[in-house]
Amino acid sequence: MNIFLKNPLALSGLIIILTILILALIAPIIAPYDPSFIDINSILFPPSINHLMGTDGLGRDVFSRMLYGAQISLLVGFVAVGIASLIGVILGSLAGFYRGWVDSLIMRFVDIMLSIPTFFLILAIIAFLTPSIWNIMIVIGLTSWMGVTRLVRAEFFSLRQREYVLAAETMGSNHFSIIVKHLLPNSLTPIIVSSVLGIASAVLVESGLSFLGLGVQAPTASWGNILTDGKEYIQFAWWLSLFPGLAILITVLGYNLLGEGLRDVLDPKNKD
Amino acid sequence: MLIGISLVSFFIMHLAPGDVTSSEASFNPKASEESRQKLRELYNLDKPVIIQYGLWVKRIAQLDFGNSFASHQKPVLWERTDKSGNVTKGLIQESLPITLMINLLGICIIFSISIFLGTLSAVRQNTWVDRSITLFVFIGFAIPGFWLALLLMYWTGVSNQWLPISGLHSLGYQNLSGFGQFIDLLKHLVLPVSISSLSGLAGISLYVRNGMLDILHQDFITTARSKGLKESKVVFIHALKNAILPLITIIGLSIPGLIGGSVIAESIFAIPGMGKLFYDSVLMRDFPVIMGILTIGSFLTLIGNLLADVGYAWADPRVRKGLVK
Repeated sequence: MNIFLKNPLALSGLIIILTILILALIAPIIAPYDPSFIDINSILFPPSINHLMGTDGLGRDVFSRMLYGAQISLLVGFVAVGIASLIGVILGSLAGFYRGWVDSLIMRFVDIMLSIPTFFLILAIIAFLTPSIWNIMIVIGLTSWMGVTRLVRAEFFSLRQREYVLAAETMGSNHFSIIVKHLLPNSLTPIIVSSVLGIASAVLVESGLSFLGLGVQAPTASWGNILTDGKEYIQFAWWLSLFPGLAILITVLGYNLLGEGLRDVLDPKNKD
Repeated sequence: MLIGISLVSFFIMHLAPGDVTSSEASFNPKASEESRQKLRELYNLDKPVIIQYGLWVKRIAQLDFGNSFASHQKPVLWERTDKSGNVTKGLIQESLPITLMINLLGICIIFSISIFLGTLSAVRQNTWVDRSITLFVFIGFAIPGFWLALLLMYWTGVSNQWLPISGLHSLGYQNLSGFGQFIDLLKHLVLPVSISSLSGLAGISLYVRNGMLDILHQDFITTARSKGLKESKVVFIHALKNAILPLITIIGLSIPGLIGGSVIAESIFAIPGMGKLFYDSVLMRDFPVIMGILTIGSFLTLIGNLLADVGYAWADPRVRKGLVK
């Protein structure tokens, strides 16, 4: 915990993320209404005591929908980045450990993936599948592992010839245990930093997809698809556009602050 | 450089199969029987994979991306003249220039503003100027472009009516003079270009700032200062030159992001560019267009990277000398 207290960036990021996490977890308890309950007597109410963030075009309570939207946002962020990091760590380890043709093969694959515009690729895959929250998470994960792969590979390249790694190899440890016990723990910092930053961009991509109607589908609430409604009613109901956008902004800002802060804290080069 | 070019062309060949799922289309229950049949004929799905691949590469090499399912059989890439001499324009042919124009304008804006902000931030390190620029950078990173687009649309278009909020031309566009047409186009471009350049602006400002900080601490800067040069000369001539060199590469690398980002900006502002075409094709499951744009998009990225490499070699005397050896 000490490292967080020394770094205001990381600390503020952490506080933002924890707050959103707690709000998302206790959403069922504190949400004043059922997020998909349609009340035709309260269509497009502006924010008030009864409806903290107003109601939408179907009379649903925006505050409750925002709380449940936070769940979606967090879930997509974590699962997508989990998938991406897993692929990245495996491929990066293989490339960095075995080098030679394994490395060239994996790196060419990375180059190819990097030269396809990611958002196009995601949309194209979604076109072939049905848009759903699980597909979104998988697709975002499958299209964002290249950065981690490169990082892990670079770390392995610099660690591979260290004495302790050579010692482990001489003593007959098998490759798997060298990678898992010696190499990975020592390359954890960049992996963590890039994962935290990755969550930020996954949240942005998910909300963008949902906004375009190709992400999380109604009636499930997500910040992106509340904004789609907001676009419909932008001339009469500012609250429908303002709150979800702010929520996305604050969440992404939180992850970015946390990631940058962690980089400063954990990277010895930046200590001065 | 020749090696670089041959490598890139080699990539393009290998890009083809990595390109999405021509086979998956036939498993998609949403494709109608008719379009499935078309797909099978189009991609020769009855033939073995390797032959399919060969045929596909051959067609792509001849720049033949087939015809759109949805838009009246329009050709995907380039115009086609039928027997009676009627010309049908290609979908990408019509939309690509618009997207390129927006992105090139965006890159110019990103370049000029972020070099300014980054340098300012580095020179005034740890002052309020630096802090507010850093804050702007973090917010620029985090703000969802489509949300900002909505707010700006509301503010400038709906409540104040300063700027047009959709399309590229106003209604009476044909009747305007040449200059009037130009102004009209510019007005329509203000919002989309600013939205699509915002996140790049933030990223590159940060990049310039860090690069400048690095360079300002190097020996040759100390030498320049101790020679008694004016501080402005040290910063703008000696340091800035070195700090913006890597930007050439960064711009090349950011092309896929810019092209991808055009989907959201163009569909919000109803601009008939490649991003909107792609979005519409995804909604209509117009596979030839999807595949065509994906390939062209990747191709543009590769060209961008190639240009960035050439540009870097041209701009950096160290690399230039290295090549001569």
